[in-house]
Amino acid sequence: MSLIDEVTREFSRLPGIGPRTARRLVHHLLRSSPEEGRRLARALDSLVDRIRPCRICGNHTEEETCAVCLDPKRDRSTVCVVESAFEVESVERTGQFQGLYHVLGGRLSPLDGVGPEDLRIEELLRRARDGDGEVREAILATNPSVEGEATAVYLETILRAEGVRVTRLARGIPVGSDLEYVDGSTLAQALAGRREM
Amino acid sequence: MRLAQLVLRSFRNLVDDALEFPPEGVAVVGPNAQGKSNLLEAIYYLEVLRSFRGAPDRDLVRFGGDVFRLQGRVVTAENDAPFQGGRPERTVAAAWQRSGGRKKVTLDDVETERLGDGVGHVCAVLFTPADLALVDDGPHVRRRYLDIVLSLSEPGYMAALQRYRQVLSQRNAALKAGGHSPQTHAWEPLLVDAGSRVTVFRSRWIDTMAASFSRIHEEISGGTGARMTLDSGIPGLPEGQLELEGVSEALEVALREARDRDVRLGTTTVGPHRDELLLLLAPGEGAQDVRRFGSGGQRRSVALGLRLLEAETIRRRRGREPLLLMDDVFAELDEARSMRLLDLLHRTAVGQVILTAPRKAEIRFRQEGIERWGIRDGRILR
Repeated sequence: MSLIDEVTREFSRLPGIGPRTARRLVHHLLRSSPEEGRRLARALDSLVDRIRPCRICGNHTEEETCAVCLDPKRDRSTVCVVESAFEVESVERTGQFQGLYHVLGGRLSPLDGVGPEDLRIEELLRRARDGDGEVREAILATNPSVEGEATAVYLETILRAEGVRVTRLARGIPVGSDLEYVDGSTLAQALAGRREM
Repeated sequence: MRLAQLVLRSFRNLVDDALEFPPEGVAVVGPNAQGKSNLLEAIYYLEVLRSFRGAPDRDLVRFGGDVFRLQGRVVTAENDAPFQGGRPERTVAAAWQRSGGRKKVTLDDVETERLGDGVGHVCAVLFTPADLALVDDGPHVRRRYLDIVLSLSEPGYMAALQRYRQVLSQRNAALKAGGHSPQTHAWEPLLVDAGSRVTVFRSRWIDTMAASFSRIHEEISGGTGARMTLDSGIPGLPEGQLELEGVSEALEVALREARDRDVRLGTTTVGPHRDELLLLLAPGEGAQDVRRFGSGGQRRSVALGLRLLEAETIRRRRGREPLLLMDDVFAELDEARSMRLLDLLHRTAVGQVILTAPRKAEIRFRQEGIERWGIRDGRILR
């Protein structure tokens, strides 16, 4: 395999990048100044070298502990449980959440051989137990997929046993969307979860 | 509802063509192995987006080709419900490409977001001699019949069914990997949620259609009625009309009670995946399972009855007169049953009919009223 083919293949393994886009990226890099390619290579190199999971919550960080966990202004009694660090970013962007996070690193999926021992669940329990009752509420923010829901059910069972209040993100109609275009099952769930006005 | 035009590209042995169908329908007459069933397969593909013979898409591409494409223009009849936006017609197209194995479905030239959004727009019901398997084969064929009829008539059914199947395979994998544990039990609330919705959809349809089923069978058989009931895969269901809440509770309890056995067997033993659609001869006391006790003629009548019931469902739930596709169905019926079936069709099926027969003499339905086309080596002669 030629070097060009090899790099093209590496690009096309990335999510959202098909073989055509991958080829375009490679040819773009070859056309640009050598410095552009080197800068990308260096950035990727340090990304994989320096980013690691936070020792407390599992979020991405360059230090031992992430900025959220270190921030004294955050509310330590509430922990938002997410599947991956990607979702930490999403929740942070809302600017509406002042608590801490816990990143599971995946979700239960027996078909793929993923059980509780493969996720950072033991760490979550330890946070609930060892914090001297500091963690009072766990907000389960796993995805609304079948696997995300089952993970939430499982976490609810074991967290409640620790005396933690367990809540789940509400489901419903996306803000700014038109009812006409909302799919049936989403609408059905939004109806079931309707609120008194 | 009627099919006004069908455009064929590289489908099976059929020659590329744009066929204009007369409003009342057409009889395609020709010897075997010329492509009669392939033509009906093409039309019905646009209804369910797969082959009714269970053939994989790659087998549908003409030998040596890479892509097949089917395009149908359907038009609503006078009393039919219009399409979205009050439009009287719609174009459904489906294409499959061998390289890449991709299927593309469009409605009025816009690609559907999900394949499921593309099914059910032709409102066709297909009758074939192979329908006898609906009665003769195991419970899974009758579950598949329910699944197809309900997916095409009840919004939300297909989504509930797909979710149920996904959770079911996860729980089965969990039973094998984890045995008794909170992570195995975590799948149960999801299974209850999707499974009870599937069960309620099925039982409501059976309840609503049971009287029609009996009447149709009475008319074809010229005597006794027949009964259709759901033998649910959830033990301990409440009697009578099933409500979501009661079914959820029953399924929850059943799953909990089956845990030991399920762990031992490594599979889920209760739930709608174990449903059976029971078909019984003679209403009331002493009713007998058609599958076990029916004669050849009785089993064939019941199978036909299920197809006619499918047509009735389209009329009622979608407000459109179905397009009937009949693949040489009279060949297997005895004379008396054929006559009664014809009589029933004359009275109830007022829409378009596309039928096939090996010889002119075997066109039994609408002999006078419809155009005749020939077929040779995949070329339609009209």
